[in-house]
Amino acid sequence: MKMLVIFEKSERLRHIGHLDLMRAMQRALRRSGLPIAFSQGFNPHVLLNFAAPLSVGMPGKREIMEVPLSKGVCEGDFKKMLSAALPKDLPCIAVRSVDDRHPAPMASLTAATYSVQFESLPENFSETLHRFMAQTEIPAIRKTKTGMKPCDIRPMIHETLLEGNTLYMTLSLCEKATCKPDLFLQSLFEFAGQERPAALITRLQLLGGEAPGFMPLEML
Amino acid sequence: MNFCKGVNRLNKQELMQLEKLLEQVQKPARYIGGEMNAVEKDWDKAEATFAFCFPDTYDIAMSHLGMKILYHLINEREDALCERICMPAADMADLMREKNVPLFSLESRHALNHFDIVGFTLQYEMSFTNILEMLDLGRIPVYAKDRQDIFPIIVAGGPCAFNPEPLAPFIDAFMIGDGEEVMHELIDVIRDGKKQGLSKMDILRTLAKVEGVYVPVLYDAAYNEDGTLSSFTPNDTAAPAVVKKRVVKDLSAASYPTSIPVPYTEIVHDRMVLEIMRGCTRGCRFCQAGMLYRPVRERSMDRLLELADALQKSTGYEEMSLSSLSSGDFTCLPQLISELMNRYKEKRVSVSLPSMRIDNIVKQSLEETQKVKKSGLTLAPEAGTQRLRDVINKGVTEEDLIRAVTDAFESGWSSVKLYFMMGLPTETDEDLQGIGDLARKVVRAYYAMPKEKWAKGVMVTCSASVFVPKPFTPFQWAAQDTIETVHEKQAALRQYLKQKCVNFKWHESHLSMLEACIARGDRRIGDVIYTAWKLGCRLDGWNEHFKYEKWLEAFEKCHLDPAFYAYRERPYEELLPWQFIDAGVSQEYLKKENEKAKAAAITPDCRHGCNGCGLQKWHVCDFVENPPLKGKPHRAEVFD
Ligand code: SF4
Repeated sequence: MKMLVIFEKSERLRHIGHLDLMRAMQRALRRSGLPIAFSQGFNPHVLLNFAAPLSVGMPGKREIMEVPLSKGVCEGDFKKMLSAALPKDLPCIAVRSVDDRHPAPMASLTAATYSVQFESLPENFSETLHRFMAQTEIPAIRKTKTGMKPCDIRPMIHETLLEGNTLYMTLSLCEKATCKPDLFLQSLFEFAGQERPAALITRLQLLGGEAPGFMPLEML
Repeated sequence: MNFCKGVNRLNKQELMQLEKLLEQVQKPARYIGGEMNAVEKDWDKAEATFAFCFPDTYDIAMSHLGMKILYHLINEREDALCERICMPAADMADLMREKNVPLFSLESRHALNHFDIVGFTLQYEMSFTNILEMLDLGRIPVYAKDRQDIFPIIVAGGPCAFNPEPLAPFIDAFMIGDGEEVMHELIDVIRDGKKQGLSKMDILRTLAKVEGVYVPVLYDAAYNEDGTLSSFTPNDTAAPAVVKKRVVKDLSAASYPTSIPVPYTEIVHDRMVLEIMRGCTRGCRFCQAGMLYRPVRERSMDRLLELADALQKSTGYEEMSLSSLSSGDFTCLPQLISELMNRYKEKRVSVSLPSMRIDNIVKQSLEETQKVKKSGLTLAPEAGTQRLRDVINKGVTEEDLIRAVTDAFESGWSSVKLYFMMGLPTETDEDLQGIGDLARKVVRAYYAMPKEKWAKGVMVTCSASVFVPKPFTPFQWAAQDTIETVHEKQAALRQYLKQKCVNFKWHESHLSMLEACIARGDRRIGDVIYTAWKLGCRLDGWNEHFKYEKWLEAFEKCHLDPAFYAYRERPYEELLPWQFIDAGVSQEYLKKENEKAKAAAITPDCRHGCNGCGLQKWHVCDFVENPPLKGKPHRAEVFD
């Protein structure tokens, strides 16, 4: 049996890296007294899988990890025990038990929603955004496993919404096609011919399924 | 006078600046706090707020046991709170200054100068410039004389406080010896003084009456024409002529953390630590800790197991290390290790012993530790020949060493680190050659095993540090080798260690020379530290930041000569800057030991019988009446 854990990586913790987060979760699971599973070998470690690593500097509102268990535990007990073992900046929001054959969250992940809180925005930004999104093709250089590659990121941008100084957007996030928020913003401000203002980017939600019918990943 | 009340965290603008800085610096996770078990208490309810300052970066600070003990102990009090503040790395320090962000605590982000008490732990002389840097970043005048009515009160403790004089110009009060009890008494005095609205001077006078507290402003130092100390006397009736170190008698009853903050980012020693005992009776003559932490006190098995369980549950750490100066001497070591291994097998927690003396590595404990996790094997013969090992009273023989490594090799180890010291009193070229010989014999011991046991081959790393004479050791009068001599010896040693399977690492000799100056320095060295800091010295312990020329310039500007402090053999009649402190071990005993060293005569471990080191007068040492080792003394000791 496995447990899907939805948790928040709060703003204070945005400066920790993926490995730090993983270590923190492993230690929390060790503290929790839950029937966790260990890897084999000389340095056994707690087994867990994250849906997608978060980059340093970015908080996450509804992050997901999968925890294999050596014994069955009900959702309520799991949440209570894990919550008691987590630091307050890393709260557990919800859990869902799934059976062992349930696909790993990473395999179902297709996209994510982000918010970008700008300190300030240039005038007429909403109009610029509209023109940017009206393009049928947005050439950009994307960092992939095999190096920097030119590509069209337009199909990876699914939705944008501007509310005051906050921009919301849904971008592809999976092995075949990932458009990082940074790349999106870079293209956008290059297109606008303006300097990019300082902003806090937050990952709000991980998604599965296909556009336009994306679903929260934890519900799949 | 004006104690700050706890509403003023960093203001909004400073906090916003800080967030931006964190995006620019390396390893920002060192500055965020919020770790599991970090204690965030209500400032409005705290009658005394204590900033525990570690004068080195977070990764080192958080690896330090003393800080965890005192952090826990202060936060156990209802009326007080303790928060952590570490030295920022250079990039962060520069940005903080540039952007006007004061040095702040990890827990609540209060600026350093908002606390009632600022306490530094003194672990290493070459971190002293960091203290000035931290005070300055925290907007506190560094010289005590410039803070006459300015709070917070700046205190310091730890092993380097046993010669407090180099920091006397900056620190208001030092705590000498074990901190567990004196810390409470110090906080009480300051809390009450604050309540009663006493002046800072009155608070300091009351502090001076607490046993183990030294208040430098209440003492005057005078010097002879040749630069040596002529007198050192109290200038106030509140100040005792002799400051006695504090000793916690019963370690099992003493406070010990049941939970410790668990860092997010990787630190040097990322594990839970169980201090199994304090003190060491071996009597190595170069070792300051061995003299300062006497007498030996063990924690009871029951208490240790209780603490281990609590720590394991509260931290989730995957590794537990047993700590003391000489863990092999712990009476119930094999039982303790087996019990811990049994308890934590299921939970996959490994148990490690950091400091093992080669003459009592129990083969069984080696195998036990290895069952869960195999770490590197570190041994410290310290010197290359039996003669020199006798001089320093390191009761270890070549046979001990070879037996220990053979055992380790047979249990599957294939890499060994050997620690040596260069420049020990009476050292000759023969002793350096001895290091080469010893390395060769260790390699040979590996290949003496049957072929099928040779794994990937053996690696012997020999590391040679430069001997630094320390106060309260029998070598406190000794001259340090000059830098030129050290370089010659290093070159020779490089030759002797040019061998297959052997690796040689040596230490920065300039750093060791300055360490020697500060370790045995007087009050005037404070001005050198200040001048060096003004010239840009900080983080001196970090190779990339160490600026030797600036230090020499600082000495020159202060009209002081490093050779006077480091290279001069001091006569017994000379008044030593730290002599007003009674560390328990008497000056007479140290003299006797120094004379025995010159004759290469050994003093046996006092577990075989009291050697009368001086502590017996305080009735704190159980071994005086009941020496625990009744059997035949060690080989080396037979020839005493
Ligand atoms: S008083 Fe005696 S037994 Fe105790 S530490 Fe000193 S020499 Fe050893």
